[in-house]
Amino acid sequence: MKQGNIKTKCSYVIMGLGQFLYGQRVKGLLYMAILAIYLFYLFSQGISDMAGLFTLGTVEGDPWLGTEGDDSIIMMLKGILSFMILGAVLIFYFSNIRDVKVTEKLLEQGKKAPGFFKSVENYVDKKFYVVALFFPVIGVLVFNVLPIVFMILIAFTNYGGNIIPPKLIDWIGLGNFKQIFALSGIKETFVRILGWNIVWAICATVLNYFGGLLLALLLNKRCVKGKTFWRAFPIIAYAVPGFITLLGFKFMFSYGGPINYYIMKFGGNSIGFLDIDAGMKARVIGLLVNAWISIPTSMLLATGILSNMNNELYEAASLDGAGRWKQFTSLTLPFVIFSTTPTLITSFVGNFNNFGVFYFLRGGLYLDNYFLASDTDLLINWLYNLSIDNNYYGIGAAVSLIIFVITSVISLLAYVNSSAFKKEDTFR
Amino acid sequence: MKKEKISEVIITYAILILVSFVFFFPVLWLVLASFSSTGSIYDYDGFFPKSYSVATYIKLFNDTQMYDYPSWLKNTLFVSGFSCVISTVLVILTAYTMSRFKFKMRKPLMKTTLVLSMFPSFMGMTAVYLIMINFNMINNLWSLILIYSAGAPMGYLVQKGYFDTISASIYEAARIDGASNPTIFWKVTLPLSKPILVYTALTSFAWPWSDFILPNMLLKNRDLWTVAVGLTHLGETEFSRFAAGAIFIAVPIVILYFSLSGFLVAGVSDGAVKQ
Repeated sequence: MKQGNIKTKCSYVIMGLGQFLYGQRVKGLLYMAILAIYLFYLFSQGISDMAGLFTLGTVEGDPWLGTEGDDSIIMMLKGILSFMILGAVLIFYFSNIRDVKVTEKLLEQGKKAPGFFKSVENYVDKKFYVVALFFPVIGVLVFNVLPIVFMILIAFTNYGGNIIPPKLIDWIGLGNFKQIFALSGIKETFVRILGWNIVWAICATVLNYFGGLLLALLLNKRCVKGKTFWRAFPIIAYAVPGFITLLGFKFMFSYGGPINYYIMKFGGNSIGFLDIDAGMKARVIGLLVNAWISIPTSMLLATGILSNMNNELYEAASLDGAGRWKQFTSLTLPFVIFSTTPTLITSFVGNFNNFGVFYFLRGGLYLDNYFLASDTDLLINWLYNLSIDNNYYGIGAAVSLIIFVITSVISLLAYVNSSAFKKEDTFR
Repeated sequence: MKKEKISEVIITYAILILVSFVFFFPVLWLVLASFSSTGSIYDYDGFFPKSYSVATYIKLFNDTQMYDYPSWLKNTLFVSGFSCVISTVLVILTAYTMSRFKFKMRKPLMKTTLVLSMFPSFMGMTAVYLIMINFNMINNLWSLILIYSAGAPMGYLVQKGYFDTISASIYEAARIDGASNPTIFWKVTLPLSKPILVYTALTSFAWPWSDFILPNMLLKNRDLWTVAVGLTHLGETEFSRFAAGAIFIAVPIVILYFSLSGFLVAGVSDGAVKQ
């Protein structure tokens, strides 16, 4: 066996050793330092952290006796983190093997192994994408992936209610899902909210989508002069921050608000539009307010798409004697729907998970025949009530997994069945 | 298309005026309300204040005993400013890399972000909240900035759509001239991407500027509140103060949107078509 091969093998056992022996001192030392730090971490806490993810703590704290117990939540977080660190170290390990092989090849060809600064420079150039994506990926891992993994795990524990640290938390398998689908009280609430949530998402999406499209078509008419001027009004509505709009509308429909002022002036009794017993009124107001906020966005979108449309198609159509309605249904609509399917799906999912509207308009109301919710609450509002306001973390996490399953199935189905997916070249 | 009939023109304009009224009136109502000389919503003649003055604005900035608007504004500016800078850098880097380089992990990464974005945003937030509590990072403006910026690269698709339109031959030419990839990014890509930079900066400024959920969850101290959190604590009796505070933070955003509306339309529709 050649000598070089043995040096390369060294890197399989101790990461960085091969590079060090080949004369790439700094790089080799850095790799070895990473390994040393990791091993130190692994034996000082890594292993117990990993085990902690499975046991979630064994010693319950007791303030009377002064014993310091295990904090299950911290243990779970640290457990997830320790596996993520393991993954990162594995990535380093494989990059080390790849790197030592490159060096070996270079030396075999009689070239010199590049020094440290040279290799860094090379790396930044050749693997620019790794350098560029490093921070974004770390950020997304820590603040998106870790929380989601954490929440998925929480859905299978009994965390919440009375069971919060210092009490120990346990894995309970599908217990939370069983509660949602079987326990009376929670089950009825879930079914009612889900039903309303679906109705809401469909109505809101249709209303916003066609509202925006019609508005764009209206502004696109030849006889409309000063298009920028007319377009400015919806854009103002678009630019005002959403929570201001929502709170503003809440004031408008409140007891002292202008709507009730005029009702009382004409001899009526003031109406609690958003009160606890408002029922349908609150739902309709929610839909309209949501339309006020969202129509401008879909108008901008439709305007952009209409400007890409081929005018010759229309000329040909009117020569063939097609009426305006016919032109709309068989030219405009298919084209617009075709180009906006992805946005239509995102807007459906967005409406399905529209937290703001009912949180601001009438948040924090609990109806008697609902479990910590009211008749306008969507699943996402219920999730908030459960987990943030009332500490039912386990059930909340289970609800959010259900939301995820529903929205992803809908998006997948819609996407696969959409014409954009089936015949990609129709309008290109 | 033939010329429209007179009756149709009239109907069109009637609808236009109605629509504009519907969109403009609530805004106008708030603007007028902010100039009311009385505070409570019960002292109005319907939509209109009984008398006008700028007293509410003066009160907004001077009477800070209960509602410390200047400090809310300062916190909001701090959070939005830093998040804007960091997010823009991260998003642009991500989008450019995803558009320009065809590496092995590209497709898996894109699919992962797609799946991640299907989780209800709220689900992550409850977890972030728990994590922040457990690591003692609530009541800290920097943790807000961290969360906003770290999550920002998830929304890289619009920017990627823009970079996809830059022809690859420019890069190849620079490559032949011996420019390294970092140099190309600084000297070639960035100067070409001003519109999308502006668009990204604007949207990533506006998001923390008007977000309520996250600050409401993470900021429990009154003196750390952002404007969005503070304004929700104003009841019916403080209606004009609410209106004034709202107008004061809405106006800069509205002006920004208008001066950049060209970019905006391009950004919205590009992203939509090319996803």
